[in-house]
Amino acid sequence: MKKVLVLGATLLSASILSSAALAADKQVTVWSWFIQSTMQKSIDAFEKAHPGVKVTYTYYNYSPEYITALKAAAASDSLPDVIGLQPGSLTQQYREHLAPVNDLAAKEWGADWAGKVFPVNRKQMLMGNPSGDTNFYIIPQESQVLCIWYNRKTFEKLGIAVPKTYDDLKAAAKKLSDGGFLPLFQGAADGWQNENVFLMLANQFAPGLTDKAQAGEAPWTSPELVSAMKAWKGLFDDGIFQKGALGAHAYPTGAQLFAQGKVGMMALGSWWMQESKFPPPLSQYVTNMDGFDFFYLPPVPGAKTASPPVGGVDIGYGLTKNGAKNPEAWTFLASLTNGEALQQALNDLNDLPAFAGHEPKGDVSDHVKDLYKRFMDDLPKAENQRFAIPAISEALDNALAAVAAGSSEPEAALKTVQAATDKALGK
Amino acid sequence: MSAISGRAFEQAPKHYRRFAGPWTYLFLLPAVALFVVFIAYPIVWVLSESFFSEGNDRTSTFVGLDTYLSVLADPVFWIVVRNMLLWGLITVPVQMIIGGTIAYFIERHTDAWRGFFRTMFFLPVVTSVSVISLVWVQIYAPYYGIAQQYLSYFGIEMASSPIGDPSTAIFALIVVNIWQWTGFSMLMYVAGIANLPTEVLDAARVDGARGLRLAWSVIIPMLSPVTKSLLLLGVIGTLQTFPIVQLMTTGGPNHASEVFGTYVFRTSFVLGDTGRGATISVIVLLLALILSVVQIVYFGANLSPSSRKEESA
Repeated sequence: MKKVLVLGATLLSASILSSAALAADKQVTVWSWFIQSTMQKSIDAFEKAHPGVKVTYTYYNYSPEYITALKAAAASDSLPDVIGLQPGSLTQQYREHLAPVNDLAAKEWGADWAGKVFPVNRKQMLMGNPSGDTNFYIIPQESQVLCIWYNRKTFEKLGIAVPKTYDDLKAAAKKLSDGGFLPLFQGAADGWQNENVFLMLANQFAPGLTDKAQAGEAPWTSPELVSAMKAWKGLFDDGIFQKGALGAHAYPTGAQLFAQGKVGMMALGSWWMQESKFPPPLSQYVTNMDGFDFFYLPPVPGAKTASPPVGGVDIGYGLTKNGAKNPEAWTFLASLTNGEALQQALNDLNDLPAFAGHEPKGDVSDHVKDLYKRFMDDLPKAENQRFAIPAISEALDNALAAVAAGSSEPEAALKTVQAATDKALGK
Repeated sequence: MSAISGRAFEQAPKHYRRFAGPWTYLFLLPAVALFVVFIAYPIVWVLSESFFSEGNDRTSTFVGLDTYLSVLADPVFWIVVRNMLLWGLITVPVQMIIGGTIAYFIERHTDAWRGFFRTMFFLPVVTSVSVISLVWVQIYAPYYGIAQQYLSYFGIEMASSPIGDPSTAIFALIVVNIWQWTGFSMLMYVAGIANLPTEVLDAARVDGARGLRLAWSVIIPMLSPVTKSLLLLGVIGTLQTFPIVQLMTTGGPNHASEVFGTYVFRTSFVLGDTGRGATISVIVLLLALILSVVQIVYFGANLSPSSRKEESA
């Protein structure tokens, strides 16, 4: 009995002490789909720099868990302090629940802070805002540049040079297929990957035209976009994409096969570098990214130039109206996007920074440094890859799938995108 | 109140009846409260949302039945209806036939291995949908897929993935659903067969019934309560279909494999159109209600062997 009493007293005091310790900490709550291990490193760095502040991170898979959780929390006014966002449609869906961060950012980083954000990111930060609303509801953490990654060891083994023309690309795909490899893996069951490739193509014909089309300033049936749609179909018909691409997913199927060296090329982005920082065992191709390099899609028939860099914000964060009442929430958000917490994400090669003046530190090979530098050189001139209104990107996804499956002609498919755009813009 | 329960009430001892009074309805309060909070309120909320539409400026306006008319005029809605009909008409009977056949052979023709076969055929039911979808995406993949490996022995090369072709996508998903849920039908029939009165079976055998004749004329009719239960659950399951489609095709390509679950999710959460999502949900709810009423009218409460016994008592 005495032992039980002593044990009970000990547990009670431990519980009181721990409650007191927790009460002393200022709390920040964060929700996102950002990789948990990297976020934990960012939180550790932040908490070390800000003793007395405790950050609680809740990880969700993006779809359906994260977007469902956000919707439910917004409806019940129980959003956390900081939420992960993509620019454009996702940010706009929650704009009413977000606090503008212009003043906080100016106070933190100086009046000219927005000038330090790469131009394409800056444009995306305001994407979808009502006319005249110059508030920023999202602060970008990381940027990305889309490209075609290739397995340089396989290319070397099969005697394939980096494609400079469309014929080179076709020949490379054929050599890869003949050699028992998957040529250019397209997870065409995923709308986002199809959009990315289409934007690479469209920007070969007319840089920035898709931006005008989604804003209603140019028709989706413009000859350049019709040509891009025809080129998209050509990638399936010419054997550049693997057979059955329409039923394939980029993640996890494509990424796993690519990492294992069974795929020759894949349309991904700068985020692919993070594979080299995943826990071992890693394949010989992924280790230090030894097996990989990238190029931009060479000019397809009718286009004069290769795809320009296309990209923008990979992930950003918003301060909710609940978070605006908690000063530590902004402190964390600032650190996560442009401070010591961001540095941890960059060290994990999670992606490129959204603000100029950052680079990864620590254990990074020369080859990765070179890849990183090339991406960083291209980022300031990147074309926009995001859509402001989800109904338009949804219509484009469906049009791309219909054309790829042969159930719709390019022009007819683009007319459906135009109809969706007109409806979304209230025309 | 049925005749059986009415009779039971009349025969109840007096000391039970003397507590009957208006205040005894208080005992219903917990159940009613749970129903109101977790079922009635969400339904009413969704119903009210379906009459509003959110503009680009994020303000809601009352639009009456406009969204209903717009949904009914949307070709995608009718693709979804077609897919759901195909899903229900194919999966429910096929699962019952295969599951019933497997159950019959396991129960009648195995002894020491009975538990093993029951477990093996039931395994897909308890396997995570994520795992199932990953495996089947690999099975369907042409060129490097698992099915292709076997087909190549016969010189057959898959030209495309069944889930990537709009004309086959829904059927490819139906096959996966049947593979996953046949074990459940089997288990229900196993329970039904195990509860069959042996004297009836023995009498049928004495009368010369064997094999198919015994199955067709005696066992299948006696298992009708299980069949009706599976039909009811199958219809409900069809209307609730979501994860396998979301994970394997997300309703694509170009809505070819869209089902009510993915259609509501895409509209409400991806496109952020809560009003339209609510409208589709209400339509699905009405459909479920009609189907349930039809089944109750046709089958009554006669869904288990025990209810059959009570009725005939």
